[in-house]
Amino acid sequence: MGWGDGLPLIPPTEERVQQYIVAGQRYPDETIAVLPPLRSEATAEKIAINAVMAGAPAAAMPLIYAAIEAMADPNFDLAGLNATTGSVVPAVIVNGPIRHRLGIPYGAGLFGGVEGAAPGIGRAIRLAMRNIAGQHVGTTSKSVYGNPGRVAGIVIGEWEERSPWAPLAARRGVPGDAVTIYGAMGTANICDVVADSGIGLLEMIGKSLAYPGANGFLPSTAYSETLIVINPVWAELIAREYPAIESVQEILWDKAALPIDWFRPEYLKPIEALGRVRADGRVHLVPEPKDVLVMVAGGEGGLHAHMVHSWGACLTVTRPIAA
Amino acid sequence: MSKGIVLDPTSSFSHDIASSGPDVGDLAGRKIGFRVDMLWRSWDWVSEIWAEMLRADGAEVSFWRSMGRTAEEGVRMNAEMNAFFDGVDTAIVGLANCGSCTSWTIHDALAAAGRDIPTVAIATAHFEDLAHALAKRGGRSGLRLQVLPYPLDTLQKEQVHAIAREQYRSLLRTLGVRDRLAQQSAA
Repeated sequence: MGWGDGLPLIPPTEERVQQYIVAGQRYPDETIAVLPPLRSEATAEKIAINAVMAGAPAAAMPLIYAAIEAMADPNFDLAGLNATTGSVVPAVIVNGPIRHRLGIPYGAGLFGGVEGAAPGIGRAIRLAMRNIAGQHVGTTSKSVYGNPGRVAGIVIGEWEERSPWAPLAARRGVPGDAVTIYGAMGTANICDVVADSGIGLLEMIGKSLAYPGANGFLPSTAYSETLIVINPVWAELIAREYPAIESVQEILWDKAALPIDWFRPEYLKPIEALGRVRADGRVHLVPEPKDVLVMVAGGEGGLHAHMVHSWGACLTVTRPIAA
Repeated sequence: MSKGIVLDPTSSFSHDIASSGPDVGDLAGRKIGFRVDMLWRSWDWVSEIWAEMLRADGAEVSFWRSMGRTAEEGVRMNAEMNAFFDGVDTAIVGLANCGSCTSWTIHDALAAAGRDIPTVAIATAHFEDLAHALAKRGGRSGLRLQVLPYPLDTLQKEQVHAIAREQYRSLLRTLGVRDRLAQQSAA
C-alpha cells in the first residue's frame, strides 16, 4: 500500500486511533491544515492514524497538531520545502513544561541517539508528510540527497533552565508550551577547544556559519534565517560578557559575512541586484541580526555548538501548544 | 493468523478540471504575459527569444518577475501577480527547474488558468512529472505544459537561445495558436 518508510508500523486500528484523537482534543474531521505538495486536507483523524503507525505517544497529539499547523503557515513555504531539490526537513523545537511531560530531549544527544519520545513524534509528522501531504522521493519531492531527519524528524527541546536568556519561543512572542518550526538543511558541528571568552566563542561560531554555499548566500535568496544551538557551558560564558541576547545575535550576524570578492564574477550581479552588498564590501549570511536564531541546548561536555542552516526564504513559525 | 481492520492514513482528493482551457487562436493583438523568476538565467534567455518571436507575430508582450514568496514580500508578490494576470489575456509561466520553483510555477500557472485565459507552464524535463502531479492536485490536470530539455541552466546563452528558437512552434501548438501554414494549405 506504500504507507510506510521501511520501518515496522503499528497497525492503526480504530480503537487505537480513537485514543489518540481523544488525547489530541480535536474533532476527528477537523482540518488541522492543508498540506502541500498535494494540497491534502490533514484532518485530526488522519494525523492521529499516522501518529499511531509511527509509535508516537498519544499524549504528544497536541504537540503534533500544533507542529503541523505551524508548518502550514504560508511564511514557512511548505509547498516549496516539500518539493525542493534541497535537503531540508522541518525541525520541531519545543519550549515550555511540555518538554518534561513528553520527555523531549534538550541535553546530551538531543539531535539523535538519546532514547525517548522524540523519534516517535518526529516520525508521526514525517509519515503525515508522506501519507497525507504526498511527499514521495523522486516524484513530488525532488530532494537530491534527502536528510536523515526525514525518517524520524528532528524534535528537540531548549534547555531553558540552563539558558541565561529567555526561551526561544517566548522571545518570539509565545511563552509557555510552544512549538517552533524551522526549515533545517541538516546539522553541522562547530568545535572550539581554545576560546576562553564569550567573544572568542561567538567569533568562532559566527565565522563558521559563513561558507559560500550556505543557503543565505544564494544569489536567489533575498532574505533567510539561520539557527545556532549553543551548549549550556558556552552559553554561561557568553552571557557573562553579553547578558542581552540581542548583543549575541548582533555579533554572530556581524561575523557571519564574506567579502564580496570571495565570490566569482558571475555571482556578483545577482547578489548586488538584491542589495545585499554592504558599504564595507561584505555580504552577510542573513539580512539582520534578528535573523540569527539562538537557543541553548546540548550536553554539559561543552566544546561544541551546532549550526543549522535554513532553506530558501522559509521563515520560522512559532505556535502555542494547546493545554 | 488473526485479521483486523486498520484505518487509511492517506488523504484523497477528487476535484479536477481535465480541460486545458481556451486556445489562443490568433496571435495578432494578444496580450501575452511572461512570469519569470529570480533563479534561472536560462529562463530569462528563453523568454526573451520567445517574446521577440511573439512580437514579430503580432502579440504584445509583458513580463513580471516573481521574487520572495514569504512574509511581506510574499504578500506583495501575490498582489503583483494577480494584477499582472488581470492585465494579460495569455500567460506563459516558468520556470519549473527545481522542486520549489516547480511548486511556485504551478501555483502561479493555476492562478492564471483560473482566470480562464490560455496558460502554459514551462518545465524542464526532470521536473515534468512533478509539474503534472502538482497541477492535478491543484485541481487542473489539463494544465498545458511545455517541456524544455534538462539540464538547461548549465548551457551557454547561445545554446539556450537556439533551444528557444527550436521550441517556438511547439510552444505555439501547446498554446493552441492557429497554425498559419495549416490554414494556408487548407485554403
